[in-house]
Amino acid sequence: MPDEIIETKDGMKLRKLVELKTNTAEEYQQAMLDRVEYFKEKNQEKSQFNSFLQNTVVKAFSTLLSLKTKVDESLGEENLKKVHEVLDNVLMFGL
Amino acid sequence: MYHLDGTDILDAKYYRKTFSICPECMERIPAVVKEDDDGKVYMYKTCEKHGDFKDLISSSAKYYKWTHYAKKDKDGKVIWQFEKNGEANPPDCASEDPRGCPYNCGLCAEHLSTCSLALIDLTNRCNFNCNFCYANVEKAGYLIEPTLEEIERIMDHFRNKPIPAVAIMFTGGEPTVRKDFPEICKMAKDKGFKEVIVATNGYGFQKKNGGLEWTRKVYEMGLDTLYLQFDGINNTTYEKTRGIKNLMPYKMRVVENCRKVGLSSINLVATIARGVTDIEVGNIIQFALDNIDVVRGITFQPVSLCGRISAEDMNELRITNADVIQEIDNQTGGKIGIENSWYPLTTIVEFGRVVSYLADVEPIEFTCHPDCGFATYLVVDPDTNEMVPIMDYFDPLKVIDFANRFWAKIKHKEKQPLKFFENLMGDAGKTLDQGLNFLDKTQLKARFLLGVLQYMKKPGKLMELFSRLLMNGDWESISSFTHGTLLLSSMHFQDAYNMDIERVKRCIVHFGVAMPDGSVKEISFCTMNTLHRPNIEKQVAKKLTQKVKEEFDTSVGQAREDLQQEVAQNGGIKKEGI
Repeated sequence: MPDEIIETKDGMKLRKLVELKTNTAEEYQQAMLDRVEYFKEKNQEKSQFNSFLQNTVVKAFSTLLSLKTKVDESLGEENLKKVHEVLDNVLMFGL
Repeated sequence: MYHLDGTDILDAKYYRKTFSICPECMERIPAVVKEDDDGKVYMYKTCEKHGDFKDLISSSAKYYKWTHYAKKDKDGKVIWQFEKNGEANPPDCASEDPRGCPYNCGLCAEHLSTCSLALIDLTNRCNFNCNFCYANVEKAGYLIEPTLEEIERIMDHFRNKPIPAVAIMFTGGEPTVRKDFPEICKMAKDKGFKEVIVATNGYGFQKKNGGLEWTRKVYEMGLDTLYLQFDGINNTTYEKTRGIKNLMPYKMRVVENCRKVGLSSINLVATIARGVTDIEVGNIIQFALDNIDVVRGITFQPVSLCGRISAEDMNELRITNADVIQEIDNQTGGKIGIENSWYPLTTIVEFGRVVSYLADVEPIEFTCHPDCGFATYLVVDPDTNEMVPIMDYFDPLKVIDFANRFWAKIKHKEKQPLKFFENLMGDAGKTLDQGLNFLDKTQLKARFLLGVLQYMKKPGKLMELFSRLLMNGDWESISSFTHGTLLLSSMHFQDAYNMDIERVKRCIVHFGVAMPDGSVKEISFCTMNTLHRPNIEKQVAKKLTQKVKEEFDTSVGQAREDLQQEVAQNGGIKKEGI
């Protein structure tokens, strides 16, 4: 059924259902990374993508996110909600 | 699960008062927007001279109520809502017409939003001859084509405001028929516009002779994005919408040439008419996925109804944003669902304000009315090669809620930066205060980043770029992040039947017109096309003298001999009377 093509009387080809699959996932990821390279080259030292400090922070963020997703899974929905409430209060504290 | 499940909002019938205009005499009249028993939202209005009018605003009251959502505390006080007032620039003109909005455009003091997207009509010449289009030199009998000096004046107008426009779009007619189009792109970049866009049928990009070189040239001169008219993937569709046969090869050449030169930002723009192009939305989405290396988004535009129209025809033709996203839901088997995938454009206002304040960059304000448009991002899941709504990566509503509350707590800092040392030591303390403010923003950035991080669900490169966007809010991070997503949006422009003055006041898409007296008029998109265009064009039009015809080639924007050759090459791009 997905991506089944039907043809109308006037010759139009229509998809019955779009599956949202792409065989260009690699190109898609690449397009994003190419953009990063483009800015690196174009803006040289002005580019955030060439900033050592920023790249370090982003890497740390990425590691933190990987850890967090694993912890989230083990916590369960209800506990996660409570953790979010506590974190919310901590992060808003003093503002 | 629907956003509003578990709330009492769904039980109450939607109702609000506003103002509109009479579609016959164009006078301002009171109107009511309300939910009927059929589960749809209508606008009702009565003109003393021309009687009653009823028009469909949304075919889904349930969805409409979501777009007008307001989060309230226990006492019923609004914490945040999708309907906002923007940070407006000072008015450009006096409100001389006592009738008020929408007659004083230029802009007047009633406007509540600043311009996010500046538009300049570069010409009313076009190589197509679509029967519904207002921009047509032959039909109009006059030429609209601002000079380079006039274009510069308009750009200066938008860039010199306290809150400058960040993006500019060239419209027409077909802007790429102008020989000086590459220079105009360069001028826009030199003036500081971050995003330079052209709304095009693809003419300049698709030429078999020289199209590739031309595409490279405009890219190098500063063009960032094409808003490519794209009604479907079937030639039959274009025959119906544009009256032109075999148009897909023409569109494909545009995509190919952009790909070859590295111009990787095409936004497909589909005008959605019932029974004509609404059946193509699935095809268009799949086309975007198949060309994801260069296609960044799709904008669906429910057709606006111009001219006098009967109530029966209105019922048949009127299609709303809710219909479009329902159709997307249907054609994707609920994967991009109407119930939980779409958000009003205003959703990210506070989020954007936090980011731009913390990163010291120009804000981009989407403070339009919630009825103007909805959007969602699709991202690829590398594990399945499937495109999924971005909700799979993080919980948008919780991120938005956090950002809105965060902004409410820190917005006073924007107006009143820390002056601790300056108060103690005078001017000598300014540098120390700068350091203090830097430290303050750094700790706020860390809090904000962690606050958003808690609602993220998946790691990966895309989320790395999202974190850069949170930290920098600059064009590099925005542009790179959007290259990892496919933005779907539905924008419903107004006509005289459904015009809502509350929408007009919040319009963020503004035309700039260089007037003969040296001034620049800034006019909101919908009022320009519904109300002001004839009068404005009368003032700036060039008569079609023989000299003008020779200088500008008012037939099609190219030499007649070239066109004949093109007809043969494309297998039938043909205009009546040629």
